[in-house]
Amino acid sequence: MLGCARLAALQQLEYRFNLIADTMIQPFIVGLVEITLWVAFFASTGRAELVGFSRESYLAYALWAAFISRVSTSWMYESMMIEDVESGNVNAVLVRPISFFEYYLGQLMGYKVLTTAISLMAPIAICLFLDLPVDMTRLPVALALVFYYLILVHLISMVIASLGFFFTRIHHLTVAKNITLWMLTGEFFPLDIAPEPLKSILIALPFSSAVFRPVGYMTGRVSLASIGEGFVSITIGIVIVGVVATYLWNAGRKRYSGTGA
Amino acid sequence: MTANIETKDLTRTYETYMKAQGLLKSIEGLWARKTELKIAVHPTTLRIDKGQIVGLVGSNGAGKTTLLKLLSGLIHPSSGSAQVLGYEPTSRKPEFLKKISILLGQKNQLWWDLPPADSYDLLARIYEIDRTKARERVRELSELLQCTQQLQTQLRRLSLGERMKMEIIGSLLHQPEVLFLDEPTIGLDIIAQTTIREFLAKYVHERNPTVILTSHYMDDISLLADRLLLMSQGRIVYDGSVKEFTGRQEARQTLSLKILNPPAHNTNIANQFTLEAGALAVKQDLPAHAIGDVLQALMQVSPIQEIKIEEVEFEDVIRSFMEQDARLRTPGRSPTT
Amino acid sequence: MTMLQKTILKYLGLLASFFKASLMSELEYRFNIGARIVTDILWYTAQLSVFEVLFRHTTNLNGWNLPETRVFMGILFITDAIYMMLFSENLDRMGEKVRKGDLDLLLVKPINSQWMLSFQKISVAYIGNLIIAIGWLLYALSQIGEFQWVRLIWLLLTIPIGLSLIYSIRFMTSATALYFTRADAVTYIWYQVYRLGTRPHAIYPEVLRYAVLTLIPIAFLASVPAEILLDKSRPEILIWGLILSVLLIKASSLFWNRGLRSYSSASS
Repeated sequence: MLGCARLAALQQLEYRFNLIADTMIQPFIVGLVEITLWVAFFASTGRAELVGFSRESYLAYALWAAFISRVSTSWMYESMMIEDVESGNVNAVLVRPISFFEYYLGQLMGYKVLTTAISLMAPIAICLFLDLPVDMTRLPVALALVFYYLILVHLISMVIASLGFFFTRIHHLTVAKNITLWMLTGEFFPLDIAPEPLKSILIALPFSSAVFRPVGYMTGRVSLASIGEGFVSITIGIVIVGVVATYLWNAGRKRYSGTGA
Repeated sequence: MTANIETKDLTRTYETYMKAQGLLKSIEGLWARKTELKIAVHPTTLRIDKGQIVGLVGSNGAGKTTLLKLLSGLIHPSSGSAQVLGYEPTSRKPEFLKKISILLGQKNQLWWDLPPADSYDLLARIYEIDRTKARERVRELSELLQCTQQLQTQLRRLSLGERMKMEIIGSLLHQPEVLFLDEPTIGLDIIAQTTIREFLAKYVHERNPTVILTSHYMDDISLLADRLLLMSQGRIVYDGSVKEFTGRQEARQTLSLKILNPPAHNTNIANQFTLEAGALAVKQDLPAHAIGDVLQALMQVSPIQEIKIEEVEFEDVIRSFMEQDARLRTPGRSPTT
Repeated sequence: MTMLQKTILKYLGLLASFFKASLMSELEYRFNIGARIVTDILWYTAQLSVFEVLFRHTTNLNGWNLPETRVFMGILFITDAIYMMLFSENLDRMGEKVRKGDLDLLLVKPINSQWMLSFQKISVAYIGNLIIAIGWLLYALSQIGEFQWVRLIWLLLTIPIGLSLIYSIRFMTSATALYFTRADAVTYIWYQVYRLGTRPHAIYPEVLRYAVLTLIPIAFLASVPAEILLDKSRPEILIWGLILSVLLIKASSLFWNRGLRSYSSASS
């Protein structure tokens, strides 16, 4: 699995332009767009705070949310997995002495470690420069939660890839899923400004650990206890999605070999 | 004779990036990269007359496809010039493009999810051919290629051989004056190969287009072409008649067969090939050009269960040719003529 | 008939043929059609959710209130649906076509290659989205007190301008595939820049506000059309939009043809 991780890092370095764009330019623009929204919000309302947090805290949130959400979303490896299943390349992976799940989890993690290391330089620098209220000592704990969450993300990818055994051209599901998660993670706005009961539901779901909990923790919105709840919530998610993924994968494999395709 | 294709010192080079091995080197590659210049086609001067069928032969990476792409205007030359039908290919004028066609083996121009018949309607529009005329032509060509049955089936459901036949029809729909065929029989089974080969022979005989044909199979060339260009490492190393080349070369292939009904007596199938009484399996070396005839005659005698033809590696053919050539060459005579 | 009329007729006829062919091949994948519509409705919801939540804490965002923002969103959804229908499939796959050498067979056709590349696959399914988007816009407009419905005619001018601007920018980002072997990242950057167009540009700080009207004219996507529809801005700006769209389409064609010179075609 470590080998796969290394391979993924190597491949990414190959396309230097992609790597830089993916890890720095893209989240930077996202952050910028979101920050302008908050600047406009506070300017036109004339308020100094929203649900108890300062303007600067929202700017910091918007900036970090853009970068952290880049880490906690999987596009590339999911589409590679789907492609493998749909094209029948999955057999090539299956003959290796490593499971399909591990093969891609290794690559995903390797890629994420590399991109995280590069991409977080930008928000750290910006926060220091603009003196935004962010507690950097909380970064390791926040990242630990995000990487734990990636296991759940990868399991969801497994579910979608497994559906490739049953349907053709399912890459639209990836888009639909990622847009849905987008709304659930808190990338757009801190989940605690949503109206009840939406607010409690959104926070209780494991997806809040993708952005809201880790970024909220760093910007002082949520406590360490919330990070703990995040771990619990993700674990429950992993168990549920894990069962579904295993079932679908095995059923799909059986169906696949049954047709002899 | 008017020249349909003329080139003068036509050259194409590529710049490739050399991949370094290992993680550290890869990281270094983020800012410092080594590039390498690769010459795909060395300066080539060529003249092909109207109606000539030229076989372009060479190993992988010899520059055959690059040359075809240069002549059809797909890629720009690094230096030198080309004229096809009086046009400069790279300006890709519609009048020029309506007169040529390029068939790239294993690439589809037809719509993947549509039946070929619908794709042909679209092509007719693109080439501004009258629809009824186009349909008539499709019918004619598909009969010759024995694929009329599949015209209404989605392309993706067709076999490789059937797809290639459909692609051929698509590329001939507008009656091109110049035809570039890049590996039209690659990867196909022997029956489809033979059908396509015979179809092309008939077609060029009747319509008289100028053709450049590349192929891995010497059979394609020997049946169709009246002039042979041999390419190696971006250079044309032989330019002459096919007969002369095969005469000097005597390319041979090994034919292995299993048949179902062996004859009761020793039977002479075709010249140089005899079936022994009662033998189920046969293995024999034959001149490459004779295999088609032998197979056809054999099918009259018995159903064939298994066929294996071992090609002499093309690299070997070229190497042995070059050796012979060096031996035969008289002092002062250029190796490229 | 003049040559020009003939050419226009030919290309219109071809467009009809592409439409027919695309429809036929799309019907082969019904699951796909449903998935696309659902995906886009989710995207619409995501875009709306931000403003629906924000406007719970304020009534005004740099001069825009909630009903007006909903109108803005309606125009955004309509333009987006048309863009997705005509260009998304074509332009998203351009890079792949270049890499795999599928461009070759297109380049030898006696038709403008940029035109054919941009229009050959029409995603008919997005008509569904277009209907939903139009429905949303009409609903949003009905919530605005004294809206004069005749003003809708402005959209016939503003939407084509917006479309041609995003088309040419997107085409150029896709055409970078001719210059670099792997340039997927340019696509991702484009998606992010596109996000700048998914907010009324009035909320941006001054520098950015000018940038989205000039340097990256993404404000013409929905923001300017919405302002004109709602009489929040003077229509003279459309002259600039018109000039810009002609310039950018010209630029995209220059960029394409220059790229073809260095195009090396996939080997074999």
